[in-house]
Amino acid sequence: MDIRLRNIKKTYNSKTVLQIDSLKIKKGKITGILGPNGSGKTTMMKIIGDLIKPDTGRVEYDGKGFESASDRLTYVSHNSYLFNDSVFGNIAAPLKFRDMKKEYIEKRVEELIDNFQIRYLKYENALTLSGGEKQKVALARALSFKPEVLLIDEPTSNIDPNFIKLIESALKRINNDLKTTIVIVTHNTAQSLRLCEEIIFMRDGNVIQQTLTKNIVNSNDEFIKEFIELN
Amino acid sequence: MDYIIEGVKGAFKLILSLDKEIYSIVLLSIYVSFASTVISSLIGVPLGLVTGIKEFRGKRLLSKIYYTFMGLPPVVVGLVTVLIISRSGPLGTVGLIYTPTAMIIAQSLLVTPIITGIIFTNSKDTGLEIINICKTLGANKKHTFFKLIKELKPLILVATVTGFGRAISEVGAVMIVGGNIKGHTRVMTTFIAMSNSMGNYDTSIAMGIILLIISFSANSFLYNRTMGDSNGYKIKKY
Repeated sequence: MDIRLRNIKKTYNSKTVLQIDSLKIKKGKITGILGPNGSGKTTMMKIIGDLIKPDTGRVEYDGKGFESASDRLTYVSHNSYLFNDSVFGNIAAPLKFRDMKKEYIEKRVEELIDNFQIRYLKYENALTLSGGEKQKVALARALSFKPEVLLIDEPTSNIDPNFIKLIESALKRINNDLKTTIVIVTHNTAQSLRLCEEIIFMRDGNVIQQTLTKNIVNSNDEFIKEFIELN
Repeated sequence: MDYIIEGVKGAFKLILSLDKEIYSIVLLSIYVSFASTVISSLIGVPLGLVTGIKEFRGKRLLSKIYYTFMGLPPVVVGLVTVLIISRSGPLGTVGLIYTPTAMIIAQSLLVTPIITGIIFTNSKDTGLEIINICKTLGANKKHTFFKLIKELKPLILVATVTGFGRAISEVGAVMIVGGNIKGHTRVMTTFIAMSNSMGNYDTSIAMGIILLIISFSANSFLYNRTMGDSNGYKIKKY
């Protein structure tokens, strides 16, 4: 689904942390959000995910309000809360919320457990896992119900380099196969160049450039140039 | 030193003798404390959850009020309860003074803020996090509610058992509103206070041991449940 932000403003303690007049995130694409710390990336993602409300403005999902999209959109952060349940139970939770049949739930969870190579964790309590393992479970859980929009904040921040490839492949696959719209916040420029078709660059709460990935490396903006060189 | 040893010996004799008076006091204590804990949980758990999770104006002030009420002096609670239920008070005609019901009311007033405060403090961040994650995973209100209760079960157990511990070990309020009447409103703590002042150390120690056993049992139950359920769920200090 297309996502459009209109006249969004968010202020904390009288400091404006996000101000976006108009921004469109295209359907079926992988879009990367780049920018330094405190540039408003996570705030914007949470506003899109309806986890925080903007002071002004609105977000449209195919031209409609959040209610129309709530069941088809999900948000995963690098420290997503995992339920006090087994890894299997965590991945199955969104499917249970949707009253899916037991046979389908088992088949889908097994599939994700294999895709994310976490079979050895299947019966472990999710709260006892390491940071990277938790991140894989959170991502597998978010993908279980095949969302139309996947918002991911730092998807591989705690994950070993050899598993980053696995996560990136999984994201590319669901984007290809299911045409899932994916929005990724990352500090890793190389990762965004590998994964994303479009980049939104943010600074001080504003979008300073939205362009195709191939164009971002040739940006005329000195700040973006420096950011990309350093990352 | 001898009187302590003699007291302990006498205590075990008394416990094993199945003395009717002792056990009726124990049962009344458990009944009053259990009833007040149930009432306090029914009020405190939802109140603590709603006020903890929701953001609203005056939340900071409310948290200060909760913390103040968590440390209410039992004698003050007893006094307030007596003023309300005594014959000349607003609820005087109901005839509650010096009854187990009066003791339950007083203990509920003491325990409710404790349960509310514990739930409030600990559900502030975790509760919101659970609600948000349920939202991102497409849960409806019913699923979110049950998930929230399930996830916060260790916290609810901790708050309830802490409340029960407070109720069963409380002496000031139940003494004032119950009057420590033999066979009617005498509970373990008022019995210990009275026996001690009369120099009956064996009966005081016997009751003290039973009180400790009950407290130990309640905490063992809590420990087994929370360790089994949470794998290290941590309760924040407040």
